Amino acid sequence: MFIFDTLSLVFVALILLGSLPNLIYSTGYLPHIERKGYYQLHYFAFIASMLGVVVSANALVFLFFWEIMSLSSWKLILTEVEGKSTIKAARFYFLMTHFGFVFLMLFFLIVSDGNLELDFGSMQLIASKFAYPSLLFFFLILGLLSKAGAVPLHVWLPYAHPAAPSPASALMSGVMLKVALYGLLRFLFDVLYPWPLEWGTTLLIIGSLTSLVGILYAMGEHDIKALLANSSIENIGIILIAFAMGMIFDTLKLPYLSTFSFVAALFHIFNHMGFKSLLFMGAGSVLHQTHTKNIEKFGGLISSMPVTAFVFLFAAMSITALPPTNGFLSEWMIFQSMLGSSHITDDISLKLSIPFAIFALAMTSGLAIATFVKAFGITFLGLHRSTNAKHATEVNFLMKTGMVLSALYIASLMLFAPFYLRFFDDVFVSLGRSSIYAKLFPDGILQMHSLSVHGGIVSPLILFGSLVLVTGLLLLAYRVFDVKERFYHTWACGYRTAPNTQYTSTGFSGIMRRFFSWLYKPQEHIVKETLAGHETKFSDASYTVHIKPLFEVSLYESAKRLTYIISYWVYRLGHFEQTRYPAMIFTLLLFVLFSYRIFADDFSWQTIIIESIMMIMSVKILIIGEKK
Amino acid sequence: MILYLLTVVLLILIAPILLSYIKATKMVLFFKRPISLMQGYRNFTKLLKKETIISEETSAITRYAPFLVLSPLLVTVFFLPPIVGGAYYVSFVDAFTITGLISLSTFFLMILGLDSASAFGGMGSSRESFISALVEPAMVLTIFSVSLMADNLGVGQAGVNLVAHFPKEHMASYLFAGISFFILLIAENGRIPVDNTETHLELTMVHEAMILDLTGVYLAIIETASSIKFVIFASLFASLFMPFGLEFIAPIAFVIFVLKLFIIATAVAIFEVNTAKLRIFKIPNLLGLAIVFAFLSLITFYVLGA
Repeated sequence: MFIFDTLSLVFVALILLGSLPNLIYSTGYLPHIERKGYYQLHYFAFIASMLGVVVSANALVFLFFWEIMSLSSWKLILTEVEGKSTIKAARFYFLMTHFGFVFLMLFFLIVSDGNLELDFGSMQLIASKFAYPSLLFFFLILGLLSKAGAVPLHVWLPYAHPAAPSPASALMSGVMLKVALYGLLRFLFDVLYPWPLEWGTTLLIIGSLTSLVGILYAMGEHDIKALLANSSIENIGIILIAFAMGMIFDTLKLPYLSTFSFVAALFHIFNHMGFKSLLFMGAGSVLHQTHTKNIEKFGGLISSMPVTAFVFLFAAMSITALPPTNGFLSEWMIFQSMLGSSHITDDISLKLSIPFAIFALAMTSGLAIATFVKAFGITFLGLHRSTNAKHATEVNFLMKTGMVLSALYIASLMLFAPFYLRFFDDVFVSLGRSSIYAKLFPDGILQMHSLSVHGGIVSPLILFGSLVLVTGLLLLAYRVFDVKERFYHTWACGYRTAPNTQYTSTGFSGIMRRFFSWLYKPQEHIVKETLAGHETKFSDASYTVHIKPLFEVSLYESAKRLTYIISYWVYRLGHFEQTRYPAMIFTLLLFVLFSYRIFADDFSWQTIIIESIMMIMSVKILIIGEKK
Repeated sequence: MILYLLTVVLLILIAPILLSYIKATKMVLFFKRPISLMQGYRNFTKLLKKETIISEETSAITRYAPFLVLSPLLVTVFFLPPIVGGAYYVSFVDAFTITGLISLSTFFLMILGLDSASAFGGMGSSRESFISALVEPAMVLTIFSVSLMADNLGVGQAGVNLVAHFPKEHMASYLFAGISFFILLIAENGRIPVDNTETHLELTMVHEAMILDLTGVYLAIIETASSIKFVIFASLFASLFMPFGLEFIAPIAFVIFVLKLFIIATAVAIFEVNTAKLRIFKIPNLLGLAIVFAFLSLITFYVLGA
C-alpha cells in the first residue's frame, strides 16, 4: 500500500522542508483569515494528502490521495471569497484538475489491466505488452502536466494560485506542482521504460515553450501573486527541459549525462520549491499589510518592512539564476547537460531542438531578470504609491520566522549543494542509473564539474567568497576614505519628486509589452479630462492596460464556443424538431451496426462503400431533409 | 602567477584609457580637438574629491548597490583568457558563469535606478531590462558556439585552444559568432546605436538615466564599472576572435594585446561616428540580428559542421 524507497523519501523531504517554514508563517498569517477552522482543516489535509501521494504504492491509493490533494487545494482557494473572480478561478481549477484526473485514470486502467491495487513495478509488464506505448505517454503527460501547469494546460494556474490565502499559494506553487513532477518521475521510470527518442523531444519542446510563455506573461502581470504564479510556469518549463534532456540522453545510451540531467532537474525542483515559497510568503506579507495585490499600489516598503524586503531580494536573485545562488547552480547544470549533446547526436530533430531549447532557456533567464527587477523594485523601492503602502509595518514575528527559515533553506542549498546533490544522485542510483556523484566532485566538494565533454567547472563557494571579499574590500575602502555625505532630494528636472512621478509597473514593462504585442494583444483604455476642448491639455488622465492570455483566448475560448454551437444544434434537434429526433436515433443505430460490422466482424471495401452510401442517404433524407 | 596578476592589473588600469581613447578618436573624426587619454583618470580623481549627495528618497539599496555593481565585474576580470602564453589562467569558468556575473552587475544597476524614486531611474531600468533580456540569449549562444569550436566550454581554456588551433574548418560559424559578439559588445556597453553615454537629453538615455542621482564616490564606482565592462568585452573579443600573439615573450605579447584592444576601440569609434542612435523600439532589430547570427552560428556548427 505504501512505498518508502529513496525517490519517495526525497520527495517526502521536499514536502516537509516546504511545509515547515510555511506552517510557522501560516500560524502568523492566521489572524488575517476569517474562516480559521475551515482553512486549517484543508491546510493540513492538503499537506497530508501530498505526503500520501508520494508514498503510495499502487494506483488506487495514488489516485485517492491525488484527488484529496486536488479537492483540498480547491477548498483552500475558496477560503476567502472576494467577488466572482475567486469563484471563477476555483471553478476553472476544479475543471482542469479533473481534466487531468480523467487521463491519469485512463492511464492506470490500461497499465494495471483493471486491477488498481497492482503495485507500480508489475505494471511495467502490462505496459510493455500494450501496442501503443506513446498513447500511454500522452495520457500520462496530459494527466500530470495539467497539474504541473505546462503549456498549453497552464491557463488555470495564474488564476487559481493567487486566489488562495498566501501560505496556501506558497504551498501550491512551491510544493504541489512538484508532486505532479514526482508522478512523472515515478511512472516514467517504473512503468513506461524504455523511452523512444520522440518522447524526450516532445517534452523538450513543451518545456522550452512553457518557460518562454510563463516568463513573458509574468513580465506583463501587475498582480504580484499572479506574476509569481506565471513565474512558476516558467520554472516548471525549465525543470521539464532538464528532464527531457535526461530522457534523450538515456535513449542515446549516455548513462552519465542522463543522470546528470535528471539530477539537475531534481536540484531545480528543490530550488524552485525554496524560492517560490519564499516569494509567495513575501508577497503574502506585503498583501497582509497593504490589503492589495496590485503592484502599482506598493512602493517604498523596504523602509517599513526591511526583513521582508531583503528576503524577497534574496529569493529574487536566486530565481533569476544570478551567480552564486542555488538557482544559478541548477540552471548551470541544465545548460551544461544541453551542451553535452554537441558531439554525439546524429538526429536532425535533436540538432534543431536542442539549440532552440538553449535559446529558450537563455531568453528566459534574461526576461526573468527584468521581471524580478520589476517585482522587487516597484514593490519595495521608491516612494509609497498609495496610503495603504504608507501605513504598512513589518509583519509579526511568526511570519518573519517562516520567511527567514525559508531563506536559510535557500542559502543552505547554495552553500551545501554537494550535500543535497548526493541525495539526488542516490535517487537515480536506486532507480537503476549510474552514480555520478564521484564524477561531479572529483577534486573535493569545492569544485563542481560538468559531465559533458570538455565541460566547465563551477565553484559556488569560491564565487560566493570572491564576491563577498571584493565587495567587502570596496566597502572598507569607502569607510577608510571617510567620504563626506549630504542628503538632499532626488533631482527631477526642477520639479518635486512625488509618488506619482515615479515609473509604474505598467510603464516598466511598457517596452516589453509593445515589442511582444503580437503575443500580449494589449487592450488599452485611456481616460482624459480635457480642458476646454484641447486635445493636449488635460487635468486628469488615467491609462490602464489589460493583457489577454493568448492560449486562453485561442484554445479555451474557441473550445467553449464550439461546445456551445454543438449543444445548440443538439438542443434544437431534441426540442424543436421532434420528427427528426427518432430519425437521428435510427441513423445512430445504423452507424453502430455498420461500424461493428466493419471493425469487428469482417472487413471488405465493397460493404464499406455500400454502407457509407446508405448512411449518407439516411442522413440526407431523414435528418437534413429538404432545403427550405 | 605573476603574469596573471600583471594581466589583471593591466586590464583594470587600461579600462578608463580605452573609453577616453574612443571619445578622442570620435572627436578627431568630427574635426574637434581631442581630449587627453588620461581624461578617465582625471574624472575619477575629481569625483573622489567631491562630497557624496545621497537622495532622501532612497533606501539602503543605494548605499550598497554601487559596490555590488562593480564587484562582479572585478571578479570577472580574473576569469578572462590569458594574454601571454604560459601564464596562469583560470581555465574552468564557462560562458554561463561570465554572463551570470555580468547579469548580476546589471541586476543591481537596475535596482539602483528604481531606488531613487525618480522617473528617469525607472525609465533607464526599464530600458536596460529590455536590452539585457535580448542580449542574454545572443550572448550565451555566441560564447557557447565559440566554446564548441575551441573544444572547451571554459572560456579561458577556449582562448588558449583557439590560439593553438585556429578553427579553419568552422570558418562559417566562427564568422557568424564574431559578428554577433561585436553587436553584443556595442549593445552591452551602451555605445551609440543602442545608447549614447554623452547625451544630455534624458529621454534618450539608458545607462545614464539609471545613475542620474549618483555623485561623488558612487558615481566614480559606477563609471569604473562601465569602463571595466568594456574592457571585459573587448578582451573577450580579442582573445576569442583575434586568437594570435600568445607565443611571444611577455612584453611583446602584452603590447600585441594592448594593440588589439585599441584596434577594437577604434572599430567601435568608427562604428559610432557612422551610425545614428536608434529609437528604443528599433533596438530589437539590431539585437535580433545578433540573436539570428548567434543562432546561425550554433546551427551551422551543429548541422553542417562548418
